[in-house]
Amino acid sequence: MELEEFKPALDAWLDENTALLTPSHTGILTMEDEVSHMAHVRRHLFDAGWTRYGWPERVGGLGGSGLLRAYLGESLMRRDLAEPGIYSMPEVMAPTMIDFARADVALEMVPRLLRGDEVWCQGFSEPSTGSNLGSLSCRAERTEEGWRVNGQKVWTSFAQYAARCVLLTRTGDQASAHRGITALFVDMDTPGITVRPFETMHGLDEFSEVFFDNVLVPFDRTLGEENKGWAVAMDLLPYERSTSLWHKAAFLHRRFDTLLKEVEPGALDPRRVGEVAQLLFAFRSRSRATQLRLASGGHLGAETSVDKVLVATAEQAVFDLVAEGLATQVTTGDDPISHRWRSEFLYSRAATIYGGTAEIQRNIIARRLLDLGSDR
Amino acid sequence: MDADDLELFSRSVRHALLEHEGAAIDGALNDLGWAEALEEEPQTATQVLFELLGRESATSSSLDLVLSRAGGLTSPMGSFVLPPIGSTELPGDADGATILVRGLVRAHQEPAKVTVCFQAGSRVLAGYLATEHLTFRAVHGLDPTLGLMEVEGSAPMTKLIIDVEEPWWTSIVAAGSLAVSHELLGASRAMLELARTHALERVQFGQSISNFQAVRHRLAEAYLAIESAEALVIAAWEDGSAFSASMAKAFTGRQARVAAAHCQQVLAGMGFTAEHPYHHFLRRVVVLEQLFGGSSTLTTSLGAELLASRSLPALFPL
Repeated sequence: MELEEFKPALDAWLDENTALLTPSHTGILTMEDEVSHMAHVRRHLFDAGWTRYGWPERVGGLGGSGLLRAYLGESLMRRDLAEPGIYSMPEVMAPTMIDFARADVALEMVPRLLRGDEVWCQGFSEPSTGSNLGSLSCRAERTEEGWRVNGQKVWTSFAQYAARCVLLTRTGDQASAHRGITALFVDMDTPGITVRPFETMHGLDEFSEVFFDNVLVPFDRTLGEENKGWAVAMDLLPYERSTSLWHKAAFLHRRFDTLLKEVEPGALDPRRVGEVAQLLFAFRSRSRATQLRLASGGHLGAETSVDKVLVATAEQAVFDLVAEGLATQVTTGDDPISHRWRSEFLYSRAATIYGGTAEIQRNIIARRLLDLGSDR
Repeated sequence: MDADDLELFSRSVRHALLEHEGAAIDGALNDLGWAEALEEEPQTATQVLFELLGRESATSSSLDLVLSRAGGLTSPMGSFVLPPIGSTELPGDADGATILVRGLVRAHQEPAKVTVCFQAGSRVLAGYLATEHLTFRAVHGLDPTLGLMEVEGSAPMTKLIIDVEEPWWTSIVAAGSLAVSHELLGASRAMLELARTHALERVQFGQSISNFQAVRHRLAEAYLAIESAEALVIAAWEDGSAFSASMAKAFTGRQARVAAAHCQQVLAGMGFTAEHPYHHFLRRVVVLEQLFGGSSTLTTSLGAELLASRSLPALFPL
């Protein structure tokens, strides 16, 4: 289906089904509410065919351009029917499976993700491995039965709800750095996996520590080649900075729009409002160009670091404005709506940290886009 | 234009700017068919020329053609009067049959005629004015190479050329804003290139200063400022509204100043000397930022407009 045909058809369907897809929880939002609402929305979108568009037929999709996925996410954000963080997870996971999993594994698994039968997580960061991903040390050793995994991951989003994990492991010696990493697709119910969620300042338990104690993973769950896991991680990053950022742009647009509707006259300095609007529209413009380039077959590389910096800057700017314009809700409100604003404000503080810090992005820009030579 | 045509076009525009001076630049641009390109592909023609004007610190009177075309004036005459510094207001006001003029023209010498848009009661009109009654002052100012002249006075109209509703002037301002935005981007890219070269060549503490993260991050900030502004300018072209053109101009002006500050710090003492070309670009950026409204003023009006409408417009759809 072409985008121009997809847009009105989807919008009409969403208009008809808004009540069905609207979050049903009352009171203060919990992670459980968000996860179960997401599963509900995914189920209906999949059964109606919408989430199958933009994915190849070999993983149960209906084909078509990735722009269809971008527009679907945007439409859900515009109607406040999904949260961008959890909604956009398949945008990162599914391409990895399509590019690196064995064909039968991808065909079996990807539809479960798209239909909302399962949540997946991404085991990348470790206690001693933040920005320097190439230094990770969670080990996988070859045994007769398969890979045996030992180690720890942290900052794993939705791990406590996840049925599968895309896991980066050390298979070479520690000195092999990014050349000795292997990516595995792990069932989270495998014996030896312990998940411990921890609290973060924004009040939703998104993140966990995940411990691996002699966890056996079959060899046919290797993603890509042995010791070529870095390619998997690098392949995934541009996806993390394309369609999911477009969804985020739509989310920020809606929250800014809501702020403008709710703010008391005189509470905001017009110049500040103008500055934030410019940042948001500049980010949207950049993200749009990236989407169009990807859809026309372009390869995404280091230049997506610009998109990543712009989304982080725009997100913090929008919620800084919220903290001024809706100061009562953010600072002293205890009703669900105030809680939501406050949680979003606090979550935005992490925008310059997760997915590659603001400093790492600037390092990449300096080295790869400005060609200033190595920084080490 | 396909990629090859674009390359050839850019090269010939660049050649025209580098090989000629003063009014001869206008002649050279005319010879290579820039005006025809503007008719056929306004975005490409504007983008290529104004970026290069910014990059090369050159000047031409091409803005006259951009503004005339945006106003639908098929036979432009003389120089097009721009609003005064920092303003988007009409540069003319009718007082009976006499037009009071206060604005700027981008010209190397006093033009024989000017095209001026003016307020006449509730109407907006444009006319040609003979210039013998007007006072021109060649602007030296912050950027003497920009080729601006201040024009002031009152003159009888020689010919009324258009009589339209208000949005017409808005679209002239929008076209000028986008052209100036490209010029700001070109000047910003030139500054970044100067700072980058300096960082790679300058040795302190026994190594190239481009090894220092503090320096690298400043250059990255300048790059981010330019890239984000360019994305918004390109989107504004596609969108075509005066709203997005104004926003793009304001943002590009702000970001050009951000880029200028980071580049100047990297260039340090070298960039502060008059021998180093950096100062030409800083001068140009600060003046261009004030054409068709200063960034702060435009940004404040944008915010006020959004607060009054209580909604964020749905711009730049997929």
